[in-house]
Amino acid sequence: MSGSNGAVDTPMFEIENLHAEIDGNEILKGVNLVVNEGEIHALMGPNGSGKSTLAYVIAGDPRYEVTEGSIRFRGEDILEWTPDERARKGLFLAFQYPTVIPGVSMANFLRMAVTNVRNARAEEAANGGEAQKMTPREFRRLMREKMALLKMDDAFATRYLNEGFSGGEKKRAEILQMALLEPKMAVLDETDSGLDIDALKVVSEGVNNLSGPDVGMLLITHYQRLLNFIKPDFVHIMMEGRIVESGGPELAHELEAKGYEGLRARFAESSAS
Amino acid sequence: MSTIAEVSETTGFSREGVEAISRARLETGATRDARLRAWELYESLPMPQRTDEEWRRTDIRGLKLDRLRSDTRADAPGIEPLAALQEAGVENAADQIALGPNAGVVVQRDAATILATLDPEVAAQGVIFTDLPTAAREHPELVERYFMTQAVPPTLGKFEALHAAYWQGGSFLYVPKGVKVEAPFRSFGLLSEAGATIFSHTLAVIEEGAEAFVAEAYRSPSLEAQSFASAVVELIVASDAKLRYVQVQDWGRNVWNFMTERAILADDALLNSLHVTLGSRFSKSSIASHLRGKNALAEMLGIYFADGDQFFDHHTWQLHESPYATSDLEFKGALKGHARSVYSGLIKVEEGAQKTDAYQQNRNLILSRTARADSIPNLEIGANDVRCTHGATISQVEEEHLFYLQARGIPRPEAQNLIVEGFFRPVIDRIPVEEIQDFLKTAIARKVGI
Repeated sequence: MSGSNGAVDTPMFEIENLHAEIDGNEILKGVNLVVNEGEIHALMGPNGSGKSTLAYVIAGDPRYEVTEGSIRFRGEDILEWTPDERARKGLFLAFQYPTVIPGVSMANFLRMAVTNVRNARAEEAANGGEAQKMTPREFRRLMREKMALLKMDDAFATRYLNEGFSGGEKKRAEILQMALLEPKMAVLDETDSGLDIDALKVVSEGVNNLSGPDVGMLLITHYQRLLNFIKPDFVHIMMEGRIVESGGPELAHELEAKGYEGLRARFAESSAS
Repeated sequence: MSTIAEVSETTGFSREGVEAISRARLETGATRDARLRAWELYESLPMPQRTDEEWRRTDIRGLKLDRLRSDTRADAPGIEPLAALQEAGVENAADQIALGPNAGVVVQRDAATILATLDPEVAAQGVIFTDLPTAAREHPELVERYFMTQAVPPTLGKFEALHAAYWQGGSFLYVPKGVKVEAPFRSFGLLSEAGATIFSHTLAVIEEGAEAFVAEAYRSPSLEAQSFASAVVELIVASDAKLRYVQVQDWGRNVWNFMTERAILADDALLNSLHVTLGSRFSKSSIASHLRGKNALAEMLGIYFADGDQFFDHHTWQLHESPYATSDLEFKGALKGHARSVYSGLIKVEEGAQKTDAYQQNRNLILSRTARADSIPNLEIGANDVRCTHGATISQVEEEHLFYLQARGIPRPEAQNLIVEGFFRPVIDRIPVEEIQDFLKTAIARKVGI
């Protein structure tokens, strides 16, 4: 399923036999997944199957403990990296429930995030970083430009981070952050939840604009609705902490028709045989 | 200006010490007598004890008054004001003492006034701004009318009595009726030596319909031996007058600071005050607004950030003595290391002060396991048609907030700084003075330690 680059290449993003627990409860029970550049993967599954846990573990949420397995990004084990290191290396998580942080303005927060991520990237680039450093004016212009694409009002920048934001505004703000940080591997956790159809279109368009030949994406969604707007290359079904089935876009349609219960029956059969 | 240099080698405070100050300053009978009366009062009052409600959580046993050196030198020590400010750690010192951006500047270093200037255009409007000893000589009738007679009488407490006996410098501001001055009147209190003492007095009288902005800073380098700072601030805001008052306490870590401030607001008077407490080893601030006139408004803001082994105590009083007055208090503090803070605030509504609108909020953010904050809000209401609300919180930085910011590439220390600054932001936003906002931002980052 991940063969676009040929067998000798290291996959861009590879999860192997991942086990993780919170407060002693094992949630992830051996997840395997490979995402390559340019691929959009959808991860579907019923509530409580471990989808969001996987997203948090990829981002480095300290609440979760990885007990077994590995996550590799461009061949490097990321589990030892702090959440901020992961972000600076090009990983991104669009949160299902973005955190409200009072007193921190959107603009200030975004400028700090962009500065940190860009500086890290500039250091990594062989030709020295100066070219990538951004003046405050350039930053403001870039921010306004990306906000306009997501149909966000200018006043947004002066508001406190996620404070008093509607569900739709929070999701847009997440995609705005993604647009400014330009990740190489993005995980979008239930980005469609709580959005009306117009907001869903705007957000999906934002995500589609950010996809490209060198970007990998993992869309976590409960419903097939989002996949009408963002076309995945691969669809995976997660149940009880494992990916139980992988396929092409048709798998999502099958799921739509049969529901998780139908698939659960098949999964039970296959694991029994 | 004539003064006699006299260097006292004695330590501790005494009647002889008071007399030496009076002699050095060539004071007349009345001023000298007032000092000696205050000294007798000081001696008659007991040292505050943990059994006194106001000092219940505040331990001053570490203060060794007998080892302090009380300076009587009233003459300038031969240091340029700019150099003195830089030595004390003041940022952009040249801008801070320039006239134009400032309406006037007074710098006190230890017992001596080393700078007292006033913009001639401001002076031409009848404004008086100079060091307090000079004002007492040149405008005795004005100074005598207000100096420790109305806002802070020596009888207020032991340390106020000591201050009345030993006061040596500070500033006097008088803004006549209807005169509005936008640029700040700035004053500095500086301590140059370990083991030294400073008594700094601020007296501001803003007459009817006048407007002024007073910005004060207490600064010194951190030295070894214990030093002692005593400040009394008296703010008289007449009817329809407006005063913005900002005080930054950023003493070195060897200083024990005792500050008492009382503001008196007449009808329709407006006071916006901000107290920033960052420095010293020990700091006790007693801050009150007397809303004596109808429809007066006192906005009382506070920011404190303690680290290491610092101890800060803030006591506030919102004293509603007339109807239709409003007080709005917001004190916010952060603590790290082994620091401790006490906030205690009382909203007191006198009988007959109907339609009072009083608000009091104290929030604390704890940044380490070993820091501790106490918050004690109090209400005492003697009228039946009032609105009084208060709230106190003590919380920690949430791991979830740090994770969210880190997930956007922001390193943990910077994320913590962002959260702490965000915690203080609502108060900072209420001071629409860019210089102070910038100072606070830098000071917070320095405290967080990035």
